[in-house]
Amino acid sequence: MLDEPLRILIAAIICWLNFMTIDLIFRLPHSGGVSGATAIAQEVEKGGGKLNGGFMMGNIVSSPDASAGTLLASCGVYCAGLPGGLFAALLVYIGNRICYDPGYAGTTGCITATFIVYGATQIGFVASDFIAGMVIAILTIQGISYVHASRLVARLWKVRCRFIPEDKP
Amino acid sequence: MIAIYICAGIAVYAAIRIIAEHNTMRKLPFLNVVSFAVTGIIALLMPHPITIAAAAAYFVGSTLESNAIASTWSGGIKKDG
Repeated sequence: MLDEPLRILIAAIICWLNFMTIDLIFRLPHSGGVSGATAIAQEVEKGGGKLNGGFMMGNIVSSPDASAGTLLASCGVYCAGLPGGLFAALLVYIGNRICYDPGYAGTTGCITATFIVYGATQIGFVASDFIAGMVIAILTIQGISYVHASRLVARLWKVRCRFIPEDKP
Repeated sequence: MIAIYICAGIAVYAAIRIIAEHNTMRKLPFLNVVSFAVTGIIALLMPHPITIAAAAAYFVGSTLESNAIASTWSGGIKKDG
C-alpha cells in the first residue's frame, strides 16, 4: 500500500478539489455573506488581491463552508465511520445557522466528503490522511499568500461564470 | 501518525503568520487555518464518537468569533432605513 506522506498528499488534492468545486457551485466568490466577509474582501483587494477571491476567503472565515464540511466529515469518519460523517453534516448545518449563513455549501460539502472519505478508506486510505490533507488544502488558500490565492479563486470563478453566464464576476 | 505532526506544524506556522501580519482583517484567514489545524488535532488525539461534537463545537465557535470580530471591525450590523 502507499506510504502515509503520499496518501496525505493525494488526500489533500482530493479535499482541495471537493471544497473548491462546491464553493464555486454555491457562489461563495460572488459576494460577502455577512458584513465581515465583505470587509475582509475589501482589505484583500487593497493589498493587491482580487475582490472575488477575497469574498470567498471572507466567507470561509465567517461561516463553516465546504472546506469546514470536508474537515468535519473526515473527523466524523475517523471517529465513527459513515454515521459519524453524516452526524458531522448535521453539526455543520447547525453551525451554518448559528453563523447567520442561509447557504447549504457546508452541509453539501460535508455529505459529499463523507462518501469520498468513506470510499477512500475502503481502498487503503485512512481517514486521518484526509484530516491532514484538508488542513494542507486550506493552508494553500488561506495561509500562504492572500494575493495569489485570491487571484487563483477569481480566475476559477471566471471559468465557473463562463459555464453559468447569469453570475457575472 | 505523521498527520498529527502536519496539523501541529501548520497550526504553529499560521500562528506565527498571525503575529507577523499587522492588518487585523488580514489576520483572520490565518486564524481560520489555526482553527482547522486545531480541530484536526482534537479529532486525531481522541478517536471517540463524542469527539465529533467537540471538534464541531470548537470549529463553529471559533468561526463565530472570527465572524463577530470581522463584522464588528467593519462597523457592525447595517440597519435598513
